[in-house]
Amino acid sequence: MTELVDTALERIHSSANLADLEAVRVDVLGRKGVLAQLSKDMGKLTSEERVQRGKFINAAKQSLEGAYDALKAKFESEALAARLDAEWLDLTVPAPGPKRGALHPVTLIQWEIEDLFRSMGFSVLDGPEVETEHHNFDALNIPPDHPARDMQDTFWLEGHHLLRTHTSPVQVRGMEKLGPPLKMIAPGRVFRNESVDASHEHTFYQLEGMMIDKDVSVGNLIYFMKTLLTAIFHREVTVRLRPGFFPFVEPGFELDIRCLICGGPGCPVCKQSGWVELLPCGLVNPHVLRSSGIDPKEWNGFAFGLGLTRLVMMRYAIDDIRWLQSGDLRFLGQFA
Amino acid sequence: MKFSYNWIKEFVPTLDIPAEGLERLITMKTAECDGVEKVGPLREGAVVAQVLEAEAIPGYHNQKALVDAGPYGIKTVVCGAPNCRAGLATIYVPLGVKNVSGVLSDGMLASAAELDINKDHDGIVELDGSEGIPALDHAIEIDNKSITHRPDLWGHHGMAREVAAITGHALRDVVDMSRLPTPSWPVEVQVEDFSLCPRYSALVFENVTVQASPLWLQARLMAVGLNPINNIVDLTNFIMAELAQPMHAFDREKLVGPTIYARPAREGESILALNDETYELTPANLVIADGSGPIAIAGVIGGDGSAISGTTTTIVLESASFQASSVRKTSSALKLRTDASMRFEKAQDPRNTVRALARALELLPILSPGIRLVGGLADCCGLLAEPAAIPLNLDWLGRKLGRPMDAAEVRRILERLEFDVDSDFNVTPPTWRATKDVAMAEDLVEEVGRMMGYDSFPPTPPMVPCAPTYDPPAREFLRHVKRTMAAEGFTEVSNYSFISEGEARRFGLKPEDHLRVLNPIAAGQELMRTSLIPGIHRNIVENSRHFDHFRIFEVGHEIHRQQDAKPIERAHLMLALYAKDDGRAGLLELKRVAQFLAPGLEVRAAAAESFEHSTRAADIFWHDTKIGRLAELHPHLVEAGRAAVLDLDLALVQELAPAVLKYTAVRRFPTSAFDLSVVAASREPAGALERQIRILAGPLAEAVEYVREYQGPPLPEGSKSVSFRVVVGAADRTLSTPEILAIRDGIIAGLAAAGYELRI
Repeated sequence: MTELVDTALERIHSSANLADLEAVRVDVLGRKGVLAQLSKDMGKLTSEERVQRGKFINAAKQSLEGAYDALKAKFESEALAARLDAEWLDLTVPAPGPKRGALHPVTLIQWEIEDLFRSMGFSVLDGPEVETEHHNFDALNIPPDHPARDMQDTFWLEGHHLLRTHTSPVQVRGMEKLGPPLKMIAPGRVFRNESVDASHEHTFYQLEGMMIDKDVSVGNLIYFMKTLLTAIFHREVTVRLRPGFFPFVEPGFELDIRCLICGGPGCPVCKQSGWVELLPCGLVNPHVLRSSGIDPKEWNGFAFGLGLTRLVMMRYAIDDIRWLQSGDLRFLGQFA
Repeated sequence: MKFSYNWIKEFVPTLDIPAEGLERLITMKTAECDGVEKVGPLREGAVVAQVLEAEAIPGYHNQKALVDAGPYGIKTVVCGAPNCRAGLATIYVPLGVKNVSGVLSDGMLASAAELDINKDHDGIVELDGSEGIPALDHAIEIDNKSITHRPDLWGHHGMAREVAAITGHALRDVVDMSRLPTPSWPVEVQVEDFSLCPRYSALVFENVTVQASPLWLQARLMAVGLNPINNIVDLTNFIMAELAQPMHAFDREKLVGPTIYARPAREGESILALNDETYELTPANLVIADGSGPIAIAGVIGGDGSAISGTTTTIVLESASFQASSVRKTSSALKLRTDASMRFEKAQDPRNTVRALARALELLPILSPGIRLVGGLADCCGLLAEPAAIPLNLDWLGRKLGRPMDAAEVRRILERLEFDVDSDFNVTPPTWRATKDVAMAEDLVEEVGRMMGYDSFPPTPPMVPCAPTYDPPAREFLRHVKRTMAAEGFTEVSNYSFISEGEARRFGLKPEDHLRVLNPIAAGQELMRTSLIPGIHRNIVENSRHFDHFRIFEVGHEIHRQQDAKPIERAHLMLALYAKDDGRAGLLELKRVAQFLAPGLEVRAAAAESFEHSTRAADIFWHDTKIGRLAELHPHLVEAGRAAVLDLDLALVQELAPAVLKYTAVRRFPTSAFDLSVVAASREPAGALERQIRILAGPLAEAVEYVREYQGPPLPEGSKSVSFRVVVGAADRTLSTPEILAIRDGIIAGLAAAGYELRI
C-alpha cells in the first residue's frame, strides 16, 4: 500500500506541466484513483483494520493533495510569469491617434481678456459683422461727410450695408439691449479696405470695452486700463494718456505703454520714442449715449478699443500679420 | 500736416524749447506727432559767397572755382553747376576737403534743392545781393487724423496758440487788421446761398509782377511740404499754411463780366481745373463762376482758364469760407483732395477770411514790388452766428476727470486757449473753435484735462453696485465647441469672409445669393461667404503640400443675403480631415466628433453635390432637424489623398440642445433582448433600417443597436444582411414572453410588409 502511495507521489512530482498534473490528479485522486482503490475493500476488513486503513488513507490523501496543490500553484505562477514576460511592451513608441489640436492664437488671447473682464463683472457681447451705417457711424457721432470717416477705409456692401470697421457698433447694441448701468466688452472680426502686407490686414480682430454708470471718471478709465494691461503683459505696465480724436468719445485719448522691449530709452519697435501706442479710449460722447436712448445728464462712462490682433502679435512676437489668416498648420500648429 | 518750427517761433518769439521737446509736448497735450526732421541741414554753417574765378577742369564737366566764402576765407571749390561763373553771389557750405575731379575741393556751392529751399537742382543758388540764407529749420509732422476736429490747427498760427498755451509763453498775432481798406467793391460778388458759402471776401490788385518768391518764403513752403510756384500762388499757400485760410488768385483780365458768383453748378457744366483734369459738375457741387461759367470748384481747386501766368498783371484775390460738408461731398465725388478741401471740410471760421486778406496786404508789396490795391474790400457775408456760452460746473468737471478742480487753474487754462470765462464760469469758445469742435461741457473737459495732463489724474477703481453679469449663452457654447475640437485633434484656422464668384460656383453656390462687396480690395474677393467651404478647401490644398494627414476646423459666420432685409449671419463649424487612405475612416471620425456636440445625431444619405464624392455625402439630422452635412470632397478638388468635411450650423445645434438635463429613474426590472437580421439591398443605409425598426418596435423598445452586417453566400449578389439587437423593457414590470414575442412579430411583420426578408 505504501508502495502504491509512493508511486503516486512520484508521478505527481514528475509532472512536467499543468496538463500532466491534471492527468495525474485524475489517476491518483479521482474516483478510480489510488485512494479510491484503497477504500474499495474496506467492507471486508475488521473494524480495527478499518480504523487502521482509514488513518492510512487520510494520511495518504493529505500527502498527495498537498503535493498536488503545491505543484499546481508553482505551475500557475510560472505560467503567469511566462505570460507577463511574453507581454513585454515598448511604451516608448508614439501613441496612436490624433495629436491635440491647436486653438487659433487670436482665440487664445481673446479668451484670456474675456476671462479678465468677466472677473471684473463685464458682459461679453457679440454683434454682426455686416452692419448698418447707423450702428457703425451715425450712432457713434460720425455723421455722413464727417472727415473721421476717412480714418476707416470701409468695405461697402450692396443694400446700404457695410462691413463693420470697428467693434464699436457693439457698444451701441449693448446700450440698446442692456441699458445702463453697463459693463461690457465685445471682441470680434473687423474689416478695413486696405492692402495686405506684413503689418496691415483688411481682416483683423478688435476688442471693444465700455462702462456706463454714474460719475465714471478719467481716473476710473486709467485704473481699468492699467489693470487690463498688467494682466495682459503679466507685469506692471507704465501707461500714459494723451489727446486723441475719436468722434464717439469726448475727451478722447490715445493710450501708450512704456515700450516693453527697451523699457524707455528707445528702440526700433517703439520707433525710438520709448512708448508704444496701444489703444484709443475716452469718456463716451453724450451724443452717443443719447442716440442709444441713455440720458447723459444721469449717466456717463468710458469706452476703449483694443487691437486684439496687434496684441496677439506682440504677445507671441509674430512678425508678419499674414500668418494669422493663412490657415497654415506650420504656423497654427505651434499654439497647441 | 507739417509744421515749421521756425514759423511757430515767429508767433511765440520767446519759445525756448527745441523742436524735439516741443514735439513731445504737442503729442501729450494737443495732437499726435509722427516725428521731427531737419529741414535744410546743409544750411547749418552756410554763408553767402562770391565766385571770384571759375575755370573748366580739362576732361571733366566740373569747374574749379575760387570763392570768397566770407568768414571762411577764400576757398577752392569744385562745382558741377553750369551757372557757376565769376561774379555770382551764391551760397557756400563748409563740408571739408575732398578730391573731386583731381582737384582738392574745400566745401561746396549748393543748389536750392540741396538746401531744401525749392526743387531747383539745375544750378547753384543765385542771390540778388540783398537776400540772406534761410535759417536751418525743423519740420514737425502731425498726424492728420489727430486734428480732423480742429480747423484752427491746419495753420501755424493755430498750432502756435497751442504751444503758447502749453508753455505759458506769449502769442503774437502777425495779422494787422488796420491794413484792411473800407468796403468799396472792386468786383461784384453774388452769393446765392449763405449756408453753402457763409462769406466771400476779395481784394483786387494791379501792376502785379509774377516772379519767383524770395528764398525765405520758398524755404518756408518747402518746410511744410508745399512746392514754390510763383509769388502770387506762393502767397496764397503761405497764408493758408499760416492762418489755415485757403485762398485763390484769379487773373482779373481772364474773367468775363464784372461779377463773381458763388453758386451751385448747373447741370451739364464742367471745368478744366489747374491739374489739367476736366470735371463734370452737378448742382451738388458749389462753384465760383464769372459771366461765362465756372472759374473754380469752390473750396477745392481753381480753373485753368483764369490761372495766374507769367503775363498776369491784375489779380482778384479770393478769401472765402465754404460749408464743410458741401466741400467734402464735392471733393469725394470728384475724388479730388486738395490742401484747400482738406481744410474747408474741417469747418473753417468765416471770420478768418478778412484776416487772411489783411495779411496779404502786408506781404504782397514785398513779393511783388510796385503792386497796387484797386478799390477797397469786397466782402459778401451772411449772418455769422456768435458762439454760445457753455456753463461749466467745476464740481462736475472734477468728477469727470477724477480729482477736485482748482478754479484759478481751470480759468488760466481756458483763457490761454482764448476761451472767454465769466465770473460764473460761463465759458465762451473762440470763434475758430466754435464752428464744430467745441459746443458742450464735455468738450471743455478735454480742454482742461489735456492741458493739466492726463497723468495727473490718479487711477481709481469705480464705486459701482455689484450685480450678476449678463452672459450670452452663445459665448460659452462657442468655447465648448472650440475646446472640444482642439481636444479631438483639430487645429483652428481663420479664413477671410470674402470669396470669388468662381469659388462660389465651384461649391455649387449661386453668386446672386451672395452679398456683394461694392469696393472689393482685389478681384476674387467680391462676395461675402455663404459657406466656410471655399476657405477650408484652400487650407486643405495648401496644407496637403506639407502634411500627409491633418485635421482642421473653423468657426465663422456665414452671411446670407436677404431680399430687402438685413443679411442673416449664422455661426457655422466646419471640420476637415485629410489623409492618404481610402477615406472611410475620416468620414466616420468626423461623425464621431460631431456626436460630442449633438449626441444622438442621425446621418441620412443624400444626393451628392457637384463638389462632393458622388456616393459619399449625407445630411446630418438632430431632433429631426437638418443641422449639417457630411461628405468627402470630390477627387477633382483634392490632388492626392482624401478630404472629409463636416459642416454644422452652430446656431441650430445650440437651439436644439436640451436646455436642462433631466434624470430618468434607473430601471428596476430587467430588460430582454433579441436579434434580428434584415436582408436588404447592399446600398440600403443601415441607419434607415434602424429607424424603421425603432418605429415598429414601439414605446417598449429601449434601444435598437446595429450589430454587424454580412454580404456573400448564401445571400444573393447585391444584397446584404444587417443584424440589429432590440432591447425591450418596461419601467413597472418585467415583460412576459408573449409581450416580447408580440413586439418581435410586429417588427417582422412590418419589415415584411415593407418588402424586407428576415433571416431569423
